[in-house]
Amino acid sequence: MTRWAIVADLRRCVGCQTCTAACKQANGTPPGVQWRRVLDLETGEYPEVKRAFVPVGCMHCDEPPCMHVCPSTATRKRADGIVTIDYDLCIGCGYCMVACPYDARAKVDGVATKCTFCVDRIDAGLAKGLQPGVDPEATPACVNSCIASALHFGDADDPESNISGLLAENQSFRMHEELETGPNIHYLWDKAP
Amino acid sequence: MNRVATYCYQCVAGPDLLTVKVCDGVAAEVEPNFAAAAVHPGGGKICVKAYGLVQKMAHPDRVLHPMKRTNPKKGRHEDPAFVPISWDEALELIADKLNAIRKTGLIDDSGYPRVAASFGGGGTPQSYMGSLPAFLAAWGPIDMGFGSGQGVKCYHSEHLYGEFWHRGFTVSPDTPLTKYLISCGANVEASGGVAGVWRHAEARSRGMKRVQVEPHLSVTGACSAEWLPIKPKTDAAFLYALIHVMLHENARERLDVEFLTRHTSSPYLVGPHGFYLRDPSTKEPLLAPSLEGTYRKAAVETGADGEVLAEGELEGETAFSKLVVHMKAYSPEWAQQICDVNAATIRRVATEYLDAACVGQTIEIEGMSLPYRPVAVSLGKTVTNGWGGYECCWARTLLATLVGALEVPGGILGTTVRLNRPMSERHMSVKPGPDGFMHYPFNPTGRETWSARPNIRNAYRSMVPLAADTAWSQALGPTHFSWMFLDGTPEGLPKVTLPEVWFIYRTNPAISFWDTEKLGERMARFPFMVAFAFTRDETNHFADVLLPDALDLESLQLIRIGGTKFIEQFWDHEGFALRQPAGTPRGEARDMTDVATALAERTGLLGPYNAAINKGALGVPLKDFSLETSRVYKCEEIWDAACKAASAELSEGADAHGLEWWKERGFATRPFPRTSWYLFPTLAAQGLRFEMPYQERLARVGAELEKRLHDKGMRWWDKQLAEYQALPVWKDFPGEWESALVAMGGKSEDFPFWLLTSRSMQYAWGANVGMQMIKEVADNIAGHRGVIINASRAQELGVKEGDWVDIATPKASVRARAVLRQGIRPDTLLLLGQFGHWATPVAKDFGMPSMNKLAQMSVALTDATGSGADIVRVSVRKAA
Amino acid sequence: MTSLQRYWDARAALNFILGGSGSGLIIAAAFVQPPNPWPVAAGLALIAAGLLAVWLETGRKLRALHVLFNPFTSWMTREAFAALLLFPVGLGAFLTLKFLPVAAVLALAFLWCQARILRAAHGIPAWRAPQVVPLVIAAGLAEGAGFAVLLVQTQLAAALLAIVLIGRMLAWSAYRAEVTSEALERAGKALQLGALGALLLVAASFYVAQAALLAAALAVGTGWWLKFSLVTRAASTQGFSLPRQPVRGTR
Repeated sequence: MTRWAIVADLRRCVGCQTCTAACKQANGTPPGVQWRRVLDLETGEYPEVKRAFVPVGCMHCDEPPCMHVCPSTATRKRADGIVTIDYDLCIGCGYCMVACPYDARAKVDGVATKCTFCVDRIDAGLAKGLQPGVDPEATPACVNSCIASALHFGDADDPESNISGLLAENQSFRMHEELETGPNIHYLWDKAP
Repeated sequence: MNRVATYCYQCVAGPDLLTVKVCDGVAAEVEPNFAAAAVHPGGGKICVKAYGLVQKMAHPDRVLHPMKRTNPKKGRHEDPAFVPISWDEALELIADKLNAIRKTGLIDDSGYPRVAASFGGGGTPQSYMGSLPAFLAAWGPIDMGFGSGQGVKCYHSEHLYGEFWHRGFTVSPDTPLTKYLISCGANVEASGGVAGVWRHAEARSRGMKRVQVEPHLSVTGACSAEWLPIKPKTDAAFLYALIHVMLHENARERLDVEFLTRHTSSPYLVGPHGFYLRDPSTKEPLLAPSLEGTYRKAAVETGADGEVLAEGELEGETAFSKLVVHMKAYSPEWAQQICDVNAATIRRVATEYLDAACVGQTIEIEGMSLPYRPVAVSLGKTVTNGWGGYECCWARTLLATLVGALEVPGGILGTTVRLNRPMSERHMSVKPGPDGFMHYPFNPTGRETWSARPNIRNAYRSMVPLAADTAWSQALGPTHFSWMFLDGTPEGLPKVTLPEVWFIYRTNPAISFWDTEKLGERMARFPFMVAFAFTRDETNHFADVLLPDALDLESLQLIRIGGTKFIEQFWDHEGFALRQPAGTPRGEARDMTDVATALAERTGLLGPYNAAINKGALGVPLKDFSLETSRVYKCEEIWDAACKAASAELSEGADAHGLEWWKERGFATRPFPRTSWYLFPTLAAQGLRFEMPYQERLARVGAELEKRLHDKGMRWWDKQLAEYQALPVWKDFPGEWESALVAMGGKSEDFPFWLLTSRSMQYAWGANVGMQMIKEVADNIAGHRGVIINASRAQELGVKEGDWVDIATPKASVRARAVLRQGIRPDTLLLLGQFGHWATPVAKDFGMPSMNKLAQMSVALTDATGSGADIVRVSVRKAA
Repeated sequence: MTSLQRYWDARAALNFILGGSGSGLIIAAAFVQPPNPWPVAAGLALIAAGLLAVWLETGRKLRALHVLFNPFTSWMTREAFAALLLFPVGLGAFLTLKFLPVAAVLALAFLWCQARILRAAHGIPAWRAPQVVPLVIAAGLAEGAGFAVLLVQTQLAAALLAIVLIGRMLAWSAYRAEVTSEALERAGKALQLGALGALLLVAASFYVAQAALLAAALAVGTGWWLKFSLVTRAASTQGFSLPRQPVRGTR
């Protein structure tokens, strides 16, 4: 099976928002809508403060709460793990938007929208025999744009993939794992012990 | 759909290479140029700013036609009442003014050029202005010293002293190899561009430790292993204490004694008056046989203007011994009191630096064995300019010198020259100078040679010997003087006059310089101002003519890439890249090259203009592809010739690819030897020494300048003259700004905050403040919506997140929303970027002020290099 | 101009407010003696008004029937089905009271679905707590009983109100023990004080009958305020936090 996922190396991310901008441009999202964005988080108190930059967006969860709540079945999960929205089915009730633990969705012009992992690029790329995550033409725009090489895209189910390698070599976590949504953005924070 | 290759040079940390997806003739999407991944030091990527370029073209408030001011009254609150005119009328208007000047004389009665021009920071506009430099060269004298932030917003002391000591206009760690980096306020993650971000991410990944020393936790601090929240403007004390620990608390063998002895001025004998002891006959400096000690020798000691100060059997102490004594008082305990960094931490950092220095080790680079010293110190803005800049730059260079980490693998590197010639190759600028050191093109200070009559209004040639006299020097003098002296020229200088014609391109001094309100009032007095304009802004609000230039993705230009350029742009390749239209220019926007040609034609300068192009004004001498000097060429023809010349240069004459070939490829390179990153071998090969640690030459230059100025009755520069010290002492640098506060009528306790600024990755240098998308994404980073204040301190003041606060000096105030953060000292405030717009579309609605309105231009806050620092003492109160 | 929305607003809240009260009222009607068709009609009207409000919130109104596409996992679909069944049966109960028990069961199902809608929103801590289900049901029942008192003014209805108010107080206490939400602080306090006041007024109504009306109004008003706050103001996600700080170069 294929399970597309993003690995975000928090050690490398500098919060430049290049991915945010690249996504906005590639997907033509309107002002105020960011399918990919990078948070600027502080932890601790002066002078013992840490500041980190955290790329977030739709996590394409294994158990997407947005999909389960969707009354119209507009939100679905593909066999390769990508959570999609059928704009022709969506009624714009906004239930998915409030059900998502990752603030990943916004209702735009009456329908729910969110990161698609640039699914069109992946599909078109695969059709051409390209490898998503390796060939830029088949890779999400945010990953292509990253100037710190912090964002990686690949198949988490393929033990030989680029991201499986990164996950094996490093320690990682996922956002709010306790919610058991099975998010598919993995955050690297240190080398494997 | 097709892809067009081009470059982005919106910030000094460029250029980066990109492609633009063009659908049905319309630029749709910017992407990295993946074909450049193998040669570009940032993986062929482009930063967030480049993603604004498509929106820039489509900006709804673009100036699309030449415009003429119809309201003769100028002022912030006057509507310029611009009306559209034809290009012909616009060019005629300008040519009439210029031709009148050519008739009366290019220089006015004060000796200043009647034409002035100002361009944006870091030389970035040159990558967009096509052949305009050829027109400027053809014209003759032009005053380019009306600054728009140069000198106060740059790494000014680093530029001047860096070039002097190691040809480092900008100084960078050898990031691909450095293991330990002390970064005093250097905000590389925000200002180092793609190459900087990419390389530092790689460096972190291989375990480089970076200690970030700065009053607020910047994005760079965030990405560092450790943050030391230092009191503003006390970095020199911190650095001095590091040196103290290395000299006084560690065995001498831990330093690179061999490097110090053979490659620096350390063994030079210093006489009783502080000048080198010299051989009585050859006048060459006398060297001690060891690093330290006192020796008696038959010698002569010569001071300023060749004056013999002592002669005969003289006692001299080595420069290194002088240094050891000089640094004795600067212990970590001493520094702790000043800079608020714990003495134990200072000791630990010094020791870690020494431990990481690998003294004695070598590394092989391209078959050449070189010292391997993977330690570096980098300095940021406000550390490297204004009072204390000299001391910090000296201490940083000394820290490298002590362990032999200067211009060697892993150490600190000067990456480019702008004051030494040739600018294209810093190694070629290494020539023997006096006393076994490199030549440096000081502005002369001799009795006969000193320039008593400045060539431009900021008087850099007269006042700042280190500024040298190249094309860049005008902008590296005290550029605020041009503005200040309009309201009163100090004694000894010819009365500063208004330029009769002022050209403005890609710069907005009414926002980006200091004391912006007063600056605007002065600008309003300029009789004729021509502004190339993308949108209306705070500077072109005062213009007489607006010219819409074809933008980044609409016009044509070829530039040099690779080799070693600013900041982290040192490549393993060198070559050229083309900027080409990815769509038709909107409205009547016209390529800068065509505008320059039209101006040359209408002012009768076509011959010298084409000759300047042939000579290399486009960045490459045309040689075999030279233009006929009498012909009017179209933009494409001009750049076709440049492309051919570039091809020929790259292939050593084998190829002559024209514009079409370059349009297909976008760029072409050849390998650039990595050994050329390092200056040390070049000096060693010529038997030259680094002029460290002792600054005899600077002391002499200062003493001579003092005599020249005093001879003319000029006493207003005396404080600056005191900076010329052979071994700089710590002075109360923060106290300079406290004194300035008192001079404004304030008391320190009433204005207890240090207001600082910091670059924004999304905006720095980009001239992109009018782009909605950039604002939207920048807002994800703290500080883009208001003033950053320590959360606990804010609580004490009763200020909550989002509250409006007034930030004030005794003379001016600005209002901002409070952004409460933990990562800032309780005595410090931070206003990111340079906002405070009132005319630029989009930006004028940010509600985000700038420190530039609060910072005063003053001689007292100007250091000897002519620079000031971005720091103001202020109060904060919840707005009523 | 692009329209953009990130949270549910008052229109969605009205569905929980009116739908909860309406279904509660139909349930209460089953207990009112003598049996009376008008509370059923009023209950249906309230539910219809709530559904109309939420329909106004949807982005693509003409696709309203798509709401029925996901009965397998979506409580919103199930709520819609419950409503579809409730309306004809409710109408029947209005015409002939023998359908009233079935209508009451369907109304309970509708109310249950509403509670589960909130519970299923994983993203929002104030909603996803299991205790939200009894709270929303108890609130609906209390408001329904309150409306019943307003409509029929019997001592039995007042007694019923008192019982469900006690249930609502317990449900809030259990919820409050699990969830801390600043956005609910004031509405929560009002809910408890309102219930207390209403209980006292119910007691007083045995002496002054009109006190029951005040009790009912207090019960309904505080319940509505809480649900409005719960749906619109407490609907923030838990945000983001890092269980680990990235190692920058060296530890």
